Amino acid sequence: MRFLKLLFVVLLVLVPLSVFGAQGDVMKKAKTIDELAKMYDSGSCKDCHAEIYTEWSKSLHARSIFGPAEVGRTAATIKTTIENGLKDWPSSGVKDPKDVGIKHLMICAKCHLPQLIEAEDSVAQEIVKNLYAFKEPEDQAAQNLQKLNIGCTVCHQRNAIVHKWKFGNPDKGAVYGSKDGEHASPDFPKMKKSPYMKEAILCGQCHGQGPNFDLDEPTQCATLYGSYNFAYRPEGGTENCQECHMKKSKLGHNMQSYRAMGPMAVDMKVEAMAYQWRDVVTTTPAASVQVDLFNKAGHAIPDG
Amino acid sequence: MVLYVTAKTKDGKVFFKDQRIYMPIPLQFGIGDKMGRGPYEKSGILRDTSLPPLRTVTEKFYIPVYNESMKEGKLARDIIANDFTVEVELWYLPYGKKEDEGNSQLWQKVTKNLSIEKGGK
Repeated sequence: MRFLKLLFVVLLVLVPLSVFGAQGDVMKKAKTIDELAKMYDSGSCKDCHAEIYTEWSKSLHARSIFGPAEVGRTAATIKTTIENGLKDWPSSGVKDPKDVGIKHLMICAKCHLPQLIEAEDSVAQEIVKNLYAFKEPEDQAAQNLQKLNIGCTVCHQRNAIVHKWKFGNPDKGAVYGSKDGEHASPDFPKMKKSPYMKEAILCGQCHGQGPNFDLDEPTQCATLYGSYNFAYRPEGGTENCQECHMKKSKLGHNMQSYRAMGPMAVDMKVEAMAYQWRDVVTTTPAASVQVDLFNKAGHAIPDG
Repeated sequence: MVLYVTAKTKDGKVFFKDQRIYMPIPLQFGIGDKMGRGPYEKSGILRDTSLPPLRTVTEKFYIPVYNESMKEGKLARDIIANDFTVEVELWYLPYGKKEDEGNSQLWQKVTKNLSIEKGGK
C-alpha cells in the first residue's frame, strides 16, 4: 500500500513535468524585450569570435527592427505598418496600438525578428511603446529597439536548417557552420555542419521571393531571392549572396545592402558628343549622351 | 534609383535636364492598378523598371543646345553656349528625393565637358 502511495506521488510529479517538457517552447516564452534579447544574445560569441562580432555589430542585422543607425528607417516603417495598416484594416483586431500583439508584429518580424514568435504579447507591447517613443537615434527607445536583432544564433542555430524533414530540426545544443566538432560554449557545446551555410537559400529564407503567403496578411519587403532565382540564374549567374556580400565586399559578417554595395554593383559608362546639324537654312547645335548601366549584382536593383 | 542627366553652361545655368527611374512598382494588395507603398500593403509587381541582373540598360538623351525663335519669318536656333558641361548621376533614392539625408545616396557620377565649334557656315 505504501508502495502504491509512493508510486502515485511520483506519477503526480512526473506526468505534469513530461507534459511541460513536451511544451518546452511555450514555457520559455519571453515576457520582456530584455528576456528575448538574452535568449538570442550574441555577447558570449564575442569572447572567441571578436572580429566577426565587430563586423556583425556594424551590420543591419545588428539592428534589424531599428534599421540604419542614423535614421531608424525600419522602426519608422513598422510604426507606419501599425498606423496605416493594422489600425485601418477592419479584421486585424487592432484599433489602437495597445491592441498590437505578437501575431500582428510577425508580419514584419517574420524576417526582421523571427525569434519574436518565442515571446508573449507583453514583448509586442513593449516594442510598440518604444516604436512610438523613438524620435532620435540617441533616445533610450532607440537603444531598446536595438537590443533585438538578427544575431549569431538566428542564422547559425535557429534558421540554420531549411528543410527540417530532410535534415531534422536544428539541435538546440549546437551552432551550425562549415564543420562538425566540439564548441567551447556551455550553451552550445556542439558544432555542426549545415548544408545551407554557404548557400543562397540560407539568406533566401528572409530576403524574399515576393508576398509572404504563409501569413494571414501577406506582406512583401525584399524580393531578392526571387530575382536571384528567376532573373540572375537564368542569365547564367553562378555566384551567391555570401560571395558578394561577405567575400568580394570584404565586409565579412558586416553584411550590407544598397548603401554600401550599390556603387560596387552597378557600372556606369557615359559617351557624349556635341555637334551641329544643318538643313538648308537652319543650324541646330545639339549634344547626344548615351549611358550604359550594367548591373553586376545577383538580383535586380533595387528590389522591393 | 534615378539617373539624372543635366547640361549646364560654364556659369552654372541649367539648360537641359532629364531623368530615368529604376524601380519595381509593387501592386497594392495584389489587386487593381494602384501601387503599394509600405511592405504591409505590397503584394506582387505592377510594373518593373529596375536594373535587371547581368544585363546592360542603355539610355539615350538628345540635348538641344539652342533657343528657338522666328527671325524674318524663318526658324532660327541660337546657340546657348559653345562650351558646356553634361553631368550624369545615378542616385539611390529609397524615398524618391535627393534631399533626404541618411537615405539618399549618390552611386555614380560622370562629368563630360563638350564644345561646339564657333564660326563656319
